[in-house]
Amino acid sequence: MNRTITMNLNGIIFHIEEDAYDNLNKYLSTIKGYFKNSEGCDEIMNDIEARIAEMLQGKVSNAKQAVLMADVESVIAVMGKPEDFAGEGAGADNSENGSGPIGGNRNSYGDNKRRRVFRDPDDKILGGLCSGAAKYFDIDPVWFRLAFALSFFLFGTGLFLYIILCIIIPKAKTTAEKLEMHGEKVDINNIGKVVNEEFDDLKKRMKDFGNEVKSPENKERLKSTIQNAGNFLGDILQNIIKAVGKVTAFFLVFIGIALAAGLLATLFGRGTISVFGSQGSPIHFSLYEFAAAVLPSDLPIEFAVIGLILFIGIPVSLMIYGGIKYLFGIRQKNKIVKYAANILWLGGLTLLIYVGVETGSDFSEEAVTKQTIEIAPQAGTTLYLDLKPAVEDCLDLTYAHHRKIRFGDWTMLSKDENKFRLGYPNLNIVQSETGSFELVVVKSAQGYDKKEAAARAKNISYNITQSDSTILFNSYFDIGNADKLRAQDVKLILKVPVNKTLFLTRRMEKIIFDVDNVNDALDSDMVNRKWVMTKEGLECIDCSGLENIHNHK
Amino acid sequence: MNIENTKAQMKKGVLEFCILSVLSSGDHYPSEIIGKMKEAKLIVVEGTLYPLLMRLKNDGLLSYRWEESASGPPRKYYKLTALGKQFLKELEITWNELADAVNKTIQKNK
Repeated sequence: MNRTITMNLNGIIFHIEEDAYDNLNKYLSTIKGYFKNSEGCDEIMNDIEARIAEMLQGKVSNAKQAVLMADVESVIAVMGKPEDFAGEGAGADNSENGSGPIGGNRNSYGDNKRRRVFRDPDDKILGGLCSGAAKYFDIDPVWFRLAFALSFFLFGTGLFLYIILCIIIPKAKTTAEKLEMHGEKVDINNIGKVVNEEFDDLKKRMKDFGNEVKSPENKERLKSTIQNAGNFLGDILQNIIKAVGKVTAFFLVFIGIALAAGLLATLFGRGTISVFGSQGSPIHFSLYEFAAAVLPSDLPIEFAVIGLILFIGIPVSLMIYGGIKYLFGIRQKNKIVKYAANILWLGGLTLLIYVGVETGSDFSEEAVTKQTIEIAPQAGTTLYLDLKPAVEDCLDLTYAHHRKIRFGDWTMLSKDENKFRLGYPNLNIVQSETGSFELVVVKSAQGYDKKEAAARAKNISYNITQSDSTILFNSYFDIGNADKLRAQDVKLILKVPVNKTLFLTRRMEKIIFDVDNVNDALDSDMVNRKWVMTKEGLECIDCSGLENIHNHK
Repeated sequence: MNIENTKAQMKKGVLEFCILSVLSSGDHYPSEIIGKMKEAKLIVVEGTLYPLLMRLKNDGLLSYRWEESASGPPRKYYKLTALGKQFLKELEITWNELADAVNKTIQKNK
């Protein structure tokens, strides 16, 4: 025994079994879903209902009064599945592109079919990506091909993008999919249009909803309407999320492509890493030069490069991948991509950590070597100390006083194929114990062990030039290109015998560092003045009448 | 290439032409049109017909009137409009040319 429901279909009363009713109801609402956007939707639905009523009428008699599941199923078989209706829509749309004579008013339902991106296997050079995309945007594929071909030369950005897109975008396999390639346009302008359409649809439903509430002829109906209100609010939220999502996805793809181009430029470009910016201009390195200068020599550069590609490239690729998928409504899920991405990213992270730890351990020991340079006795009474700036260094008076921070500054002034030119040495002036001028050059460097560090320290080359009563200090020191950058530094100690007089030129401010004197003058006040070495220390000769200068004597 | 898809595509193109042809012999309601089309194996599922009729009507090629029926609710009888008739005439010419061309091509290549 089964319960039956009384149903009114196109003015004819049917007794229909419950499950059969549910099935028929579902079928009709699915069809309605397909036609909801076409004009005359209600009329089509009425016609279809009338035809179903007619067929069901033939299936009941006095002997068999109820409509059974089997009856509904056979009716559905005759009418066809909703997909067949949709297939017809796509076909109609296709004929429109042939600009047939009836093409004028074809907006009934064909155009509401959302356009989808596929790779076109019928018109392809590599993967059919360009012709598929061109169909999607309704332009000549030659433009896409040209753009990709050109971008192949932009550090391979195009190739990278092409491969990602080929993985995401499915190939159009069936005829239906090929027809879907020419569905409704979804380009940037249309994202707005689509959102509008969704809101219009919403407005209409809201109006219907209001009307239904206003005419509560039927309590049952009102009840179900209230139930619908829940779905309805859900719909509003969904539409808002969709709109925000599309815009976000667009920016995601945009930023992703920019980042990918940046990454590739870093990997293959020249001089994309700028380091140790001196006051002049920063020094540019390619990634390989930089790695060669910094990474330990027993560590393959590839570790760092591959680590970097994976660690940055994977998230950037996923950004583009996800954004494009969302933007074009590609639902296809690819577990392999997901797992592979996770594993590769972790691999990249591990490599980078390894490279970091290895490099760090190459800084673990420091070593110092000392070298004493004799200063020949000069003719005059006063020894002039001056600075010989590096050609590359914008060393002039305007800059000198900008350099306030003197501690631990480590600057690369230039590099060429043989050497790195680093700055700045620090000069201190102390009393000499021997009765003659002496310059002690203290070179230091770091390394994995003392021995390595000491060898590096020895490789630092620093020079001064003496011409009679003037000593020119180089403002820089050089290390060979074969050496790694390992915190190389040079400290200078000038030993001055008692009663000898010095003059510090203004340029010397660049290298003198915290020089003790009996006047307590700051480094910046010491330059451009004469000093005499006394038993108590350096004392200013021509400072009288100046502020900030004391005399303890 | 799916053969069923190809067949369906070929049929779809001529479906409208056939509907107009059927109606040129007189006014019919949908079930009758479906009957004739099914005889000729032009239609597999009936649902396809309704959206087509609607579109032809919206394009001004068809019109309909309601007519009482003895066995049930009133029926929609479809009729060719003047535009529809003219349209059909053009389609017939095109069809004949096309059929000729296709047949000749097939013959030649056999």
